[in-house]
Amino acid sequence: MKQPIVFLAVFTPSDSSDVSPDAALVRRLLQRDVSAFEELYDRHSRLVYALVLRILQQATTAEEVVQDVFLQLWRNTALYDGSRGAFVPWLLTMARNRALDQLRLKGERQRRLEDQTDELPPVAAIPDFEGSLDEKRRAVRVRELLGSLNPRQKRAIELAYFEGLSHSEIANALKEPLGTVKSWIRNGLLRLKEGLQTAP
Amino acid sequence: MNGSDQVRDDFCELIEAYALGALDSEERTAVAAHLATGCAECTAALGEAQRLVSQLAYLAPEYAPSDMLRGQLLKTVREEAAANAKNLAKSGLRAAIPFWMLGAVAAMLLFALYNAYELRVTTNTIQQTRAELEKQIQQQQESARELAIARREASILTDAKSVKIAMSADNKDLPVLQATWNPELGLVVSGQKLAAPVGGRTLQLWLIPKAAGAKPVPSVTLRPNQDGNLDLLVANPPGRPSGTKALAITEEPEGGSPQPTTAPIWVGAVAGK
Repeated sequence: MKQPIVFLAVFTPSDSSDVSPDAALVRRLLQRDVSAFEELYDRHSRLVYALVLRILQQATTAEEVVQDVFLQLWRNTALYDGSRGAFVPWLLTMARNRALDQLRLKGERQRRLEDQTDELPPVAAIPDFEGSLDEKRRAVRVRELLGSLNPRQKRAIELAYFEGLSHSEIANALKEPLGTVKSWIRNGLLRLKEGLQTAP
Repeated sequence: MNGSDQVRDDFCELIEAYALGALDSEERTAVAAHLATGCAECTAALGEAQRLVSQLAYLAPEYAPSDMLRGQLLKTVREEAAANAKNLAKSGLRAAIPFWMLGAVAAMLLFALYNAYELRVTTNTIQQTRAELEKQIQQQQESARELAIARREASILTDAKSVKIAMSADNKDLPVLQATWNPELGLVVSGQKLAAPVGGRTLQLWLIPKAAGAKPVPSVTLRPNQDGNLDLLVANPPGRPSGTKALAITEEPEGGSPQPTTAPIWVGAVAGK
């Protein structure tokens, strides 16, 4: 029998250990090391921007949010507590929250529905993540796992994550029973969890 | 499984949806309240759930932010870092001054202040001492002068050449004044139980010459002390006993007169020796 191996370092609690590159960079960032900030930006700005852009669907606003997120990181580095989790999930959570706040604040959701032509950003898609094979493999794996779900189940998760909808709002949007939506989301996340913890 | 375990399991079932932000208001409030109780298991589960949910970011299409954003961010960060370094340098300069040096400066300042205070105190003391010395010298001079007067008066009163003159008044209520005149040492006039003139008036001594038709010669003004005693030394009377017929005392305006303006109160004949 093939032994399961750890596939995603970022997903395991040990990823928050002091030896991770991000942890070392954050320590330097606390010393106001600009080069550490530059390195952290280069390592994670694409993923942060992609997430924010996916939520806001508008490149200019997305860049404003990304700028806010990284300035927040620079100015309030101490807000990140390495003992409570890995850096990347913390950064992504902050970026997502800011983007959703922006989405709600400006009614961008409604604007986007009315103006679908402004969806795509002017910057060309980057086909890979430079210098980060783990990140690329992680992205592929997450897409595979979510792609294996019922399309409506995947859509329910996307509505929750990228548009900040609640169970009831998703049920209304998909015209599905509330209980079904709850089960879809919970089971989908559990499947993602299991899939990330072990490699096939 | 007891009731508490059941509640915890119920919340743990909701924890992924809570991390996803998908719970409706009522459930979200309930989970938040449970987490606020400090349930370690659910708190740990929430951390795991947040890490799991963050993986959904990889579903987003891959795009890169513009180089302009990177440039703007780095410019801002570098400026803030430089400003921060400048502030640190300022505070570092302050910190570079060792505590002992600050203490030494403070001690020197205190010492200087103390010295200034001491100098002022010493100066005041010297001034007070000088004033006391001057006062003592003045008192000594006064005593010496009084002693000299007393010696001279004693000499006049005891010298064989002196002439005794009794000066009596027409008013029998007034005491007799005694005058002693030495041709070399001067004239002494003394008396007791005298009333001092009032209303800007004073007593004045006159020498009445022997020469016929000669006018009275004005001498000093005099005034008894608070006890009514009179002890007057006229060191240089404007005449000599041999040429003087009598001594007289009148009441005159303050400062004296060149000629008598009132009748004599006391008169004493000068008997020649």
